[in-house]
Amino acid sequence: MPKKLLIVGGGDGGTILANRLARRVKRDDLEIEVIDKEETHFYQPGFLFVAFGEADRRSISKQRARLYSPGVRFTRAEVRRIDLGRREVELKDGGRKSYDYLVIATGSALNYDDIPGFKEGANHIWTLEDAERLHQALKNFKGGSVVIGVGGLTYKCPVAPLEIAFLTDEFLRSRGLREKSEIKFVSPLERPYGPRLLNRVIVESMKERGIEPVTFFTVDSIDPQRREVHSLEGDSLKYDMLILSPPHRGAEVILNSGIGDDEGWIPVDRHYLRIRDYDDAFAIGDATNLPVPKTGVIAHFEASTVADNLYYELRGMERRSMFDGQSFCIIEMGREQASAQVSNYYYTEAPGLIPTRVLHLAKLSMNTMYWTCILGGYI
Amino acid sequence: MSEIKPTVTVDARGLTCPGPLTNLIKAYRKANVGDVIEVLATDPGFKPDLEAWARRTGNEIISVSEEGGTIRALIRVSSK
Repeated sequence: MPKKLLIVGGGDGGTILANRLARRVKRDDLEIEVIDKEETHFYQPGFLFVAFGEADRRSISKQRARLYSPGVRFTRAEVRRIDLGRREVELKDGGRKSYDYLVIATGSALNYDDIPGFKEGANHIWTLEDAERLHQALKNFKGGSVVIGVGGLTYKCPVAPLEIAFLTDEFLRSRGLREKSEIKFVSPLERPYGPRLLNRVIVESMKERGIEPVTFFTVDSIDPQRREVHSLEGDSLKYDMLILSPPHRGAEVILNSGIGDDEGWIPVDRHYLRIRDYDDAFAIGDATNLPVPKTGVIAHFEASTVADNLYYELRGMERRSMFDGQSFCIIEMGREQASAQVSNYYYTEAPGLIPTRVLHLAKLSMNTMYWTCILGGYI
Repeated sequence: MSEIKPTVTVDARGLTCPGPLTNLIKAYRKANVGDVIEVLATDPGFKPDLEAWARRTGNEIISVSEEGGTIRALIRVSSK
């Protein structure tokens, strides 16, 4: 009788995990099922390129059912509740599914309520629709005061606000609007980017392009009528265009199931990704409470760890693959240049690389490799 | 002097920059004037970041101590 692996969430982590495992295990040993409420899978880093008119909806999406290797069953359904004690998942339509192993890969959700006025006042790229809206707003923009930066704390992809700032600078220059515009970059920290060495590269490039950092600016509220953004520190900025990262929290199903912290992040152990107190349930990607960035690359490496360990376990061996917090990030900086940074739990002050065209090309090649090598679980 | 009791504790041990300061700012958003926030951290970069933050935001660092690699900071919310 095969064991049953249930994966809740078919984003990067869930898909990579399912495909990586499906190619290695016999179907007599393991049944793999992925549940997700959405039919379409989006390449989320592509939202940045949608906002600046370099990609569109079609080029960054595929039907989920076509992404899985033979041996993976995809079920389109919404999960209402997860019961770790009973090893059972309850669907919104009333159905139930049991499992031998569970992997929660439910990602993160936007939480506009945290910042009054955010939904009405700010643009962003954290959903495809919002990226498309930002593209329209940029096309209609006639110049003025642009405020870009970190809105809510805990957000997906730490470098995205910086990428938006650099690409906005480039976009406005290409349309002859840069001299009629000022760009300010707001951050709640004492510098635009937390890790110090990459921050040096960022600050240098900002200076070169006339982007003004505004530090210790924790966005508290937005007044869309007066076009003002207010900080917790008591400052205000006027804007003609406002682009901020929205605050995130864990998925609704995690909050409903009572298995996360008060923001809905699931506590897991940092090396094996086991959910605290359970040996048959894991969480990966944005869903966890781990002190690592909420990005696809983290979900990728975590998915590989869990896939390897389940494979070993099915073969009667002990779990021996450990996640070390590894992250790798290429930061698009406009002008066909990009920088990059690597880090893990132990090595966090890696140098930020000098921006080059090679790194920019690496980022572009990632856009194509994503659908085959990465989601397929080959690398 | 009697021990000051924190209103809330932020356990940022094991978090690297900017984790401890980010978590302090999240706690600060929810806090009221007069509250005392305790932060436990292991990242050596936290101390200079905290001092710069307190200076800029006008909040009071009551004490910063270090024992066994853990930095313990008490901050009184005096400005919001």
